[in-house]
Amino acid sequence: MKATFPNFGYETLALKTFLEKLGASVVLPPANTKHTLEMGVKYSSELICLPFKITLGNFIEALNRGADTLFMAAGAKKCRFGYYHYLHEMILRKLFPRFRLYAISQYTPYQFVFEKMPQIFMVSPTRVIYALLILLAKCALIDDFKCQLRLARVLDFNQANQIEKRAIKLIESANSISQIRRTRQEIRTIFSINGKKPEIKIGLVGEIFFMIEPFANQEIEKELSRLGALVVTKRSLFRHLKHLLKIDWEFYRFSLLAYKYLKDSPGGEAIRTVGEAVSFAMSGIDGIVHIYPFTCMPENIALEALEKASEDYDVPVLSMSFDEHTSRTGFLTRLEAFVDLIKRRKRERGR
Amino acid sequence: MKVGIPRALLYYRYGNFWNRFFSELGVEVILSPKTDKTILEKGLGKVSSEVCLPIKVICGHIEELKDKVDFVFLPRLVYLGDKLYACPKMIGIVDIVGLNFSALLRPKIKNDFFLPHFQVGLALTHNPMKSFLAYQRAKEELKFSKTIPDFPSDQPKIGLISHFYNLGDDFIAHDIIATFRKNGFLIYTKEDLPPTILENSKGFAGKIRWIYERELYNAFNYYLDKIDGICNIISFGCGPDSLVGEIMADKAKTLNRPFLQLIIDEHTGRAGLITRLEAFIELVKKRIVAN
Repeated sequence: MKATFPNFGYETLALKTFLEKLGASVVLPPANTKHTLEMGVKYSSELICLPFKITLGNFIEALNRGADTLFMAAGAKKCRFGYYHYLHEMILRKLFPRFRLYAISQYTPYQFVFEKMPQIFMVSPTRVIYALLILLAKCALIDDFKCQLRLARVLDFNQANQIEKRAIKLIESANSISQIRRTRQEIRTIFSINGKKPEIKIGLVGEIFFMIEPFANQEIEKELSRLGALVVTKRSLFRHLKHLLKIDWEFYRFSLLAYKYLKDSPGGEAIRTVGEAVSFAMSGIDGIVHIYPFTCMPENIALEALEKASEDYDVPVLSMSFDEHTSRTGFLTRLEAFVDLIKRRKRERGR
Repeated sequence: MKVGIPRALLYYRYGNFWNRFFSELGVEVILSPKTDKTILEKGLGKVSSEVCLPIKVICGHIEELKDKVDFVFLPRLVYLGDKLYACPKMIGIVDIVGLNFSALLRPKIKNDFFLPHFQVGLALTHNPMKSFLAYQRAKEELKFSKTIPDFPSDQPKIGLISHFYNLGDDFIAHDIIATFRKNGFLIYTKEDLPPTILENSKGFAGKIRWIYERELYNAFNYYLDKIDGICNIISFGCGPDSLVGEIMADKAKTLNRPFLQLIIDEHTGRAGLITRLEAFIELVKKRIVAN
């Protein structure tokens, strides 16, 4: 079995280890490029949101590389995401007659461990639980690494990029709990660099695929750091997995904070987006950037709530939607203007 | 006491029920006027430009009603039946309107219609008996018993697959319906079918967890081999439709049936729309002659 799944930012490394622990050989799609997006756009409906187009492009490229088993997260609720795999299968069948697509429902962890995974990989549930533990540990490691990286980028941008490459190599080779623990220490030491203190702090909220995949969000974290802003986020695969296992205590706090604005979940991650933004605002952040795919239904509702929260807590909010036509120049101009505004605001307030 | 009901979205399905319910309560109902350009323009500024046309329209209707009534009635439909959800925007728009406007009656409908409406009645009249009776009397309007329509073989037939709030609103769909009528077509929509067909959960329809999308897909499937052509009207930015529409288009293509997907928004030009429809009508008519 040559398994594959769509690129998911740095978290790809953790998911790859998970599948390898279950005994699959993994063929990763090549890193996202313009070509990936072009392939995705070519075969999908124009109205559908950007994550679908990118993941479709990933599958096409991975199948071209010889993968034969595709994994896609699913779980049908109110968001379009739960239905991606039906369309993926429909479109890919016409291009590649021989492959299998497994849709992994996010909302049934019990079934996932005891039925679905053992059935697909012919392994015992114990092994699935072990692989899941490794996945969680590795996700936590990547979460930690990303936090270090964000700070390092503001301190010294060029040096951080070099360290990033070394750190990724370390993460790639960490395949057991003890190794992961050791890597965590090593990453902490290599990231201890000096530089100027960040001037401002910006909270990043939005749709999970956009928060995690740098290609989708035009490397917004990098660009913000380049402009001298420390990026803070509360979104990662680790937190998402904890949320799915219902042990993410912080999520309950976010739901309470968001209740003032949204009385009922419009699906997707709208509640979380609003809750995170409010918690950022309460902790005295300088600005919030909200990113989501163009025409995303839940995030468009969150956007309106964020506008109101921005007034209530007196925090500037920049909402940006992305699709395949988003121009990089326009995006950078907006970001620069926003960061300038926040810096000026902070200086004036500080006086 | 005056209660305003916006003539948009769910009004086109539950309007009769609500009219009856409030008149039984003895509350005066003010219905917003039919959608026109001014109403739409009022709505445009109130909500993100990326949302779909019906949502912009309902925001305009609420703006129109705001100053004329004591309360605006804007129910939130979360799910019906076996957790079949309404679309995220329909659920969320109630909160969005509520952020800047507090005189809002927003019952939360989760499959059960009685309790939320009873509470609304109680809030308005402070009389539990009256509220209970009003619901009981209005309840019959909630039954949508339809019989399967006839399909006369001598007339061209077209299926308009779209949401009731698109087809019901003259501002959105009048030109489309009128063009088909003018060309002698009989029009079939999903509202013409009985619930037994619309709520069918076999095949792919069972996997769709959006209530109105499941109805659309079932109607599409039912009409597919009974009528001459299908026109699918999607408002730009409608999430569920972009997905299910794609699946319908694919199915129609494999079975080689005439299928037209119209994407509409507030910028849709009338002339361009009618040209496309006329081209489609020509195609359907030619196929009828050839068969």
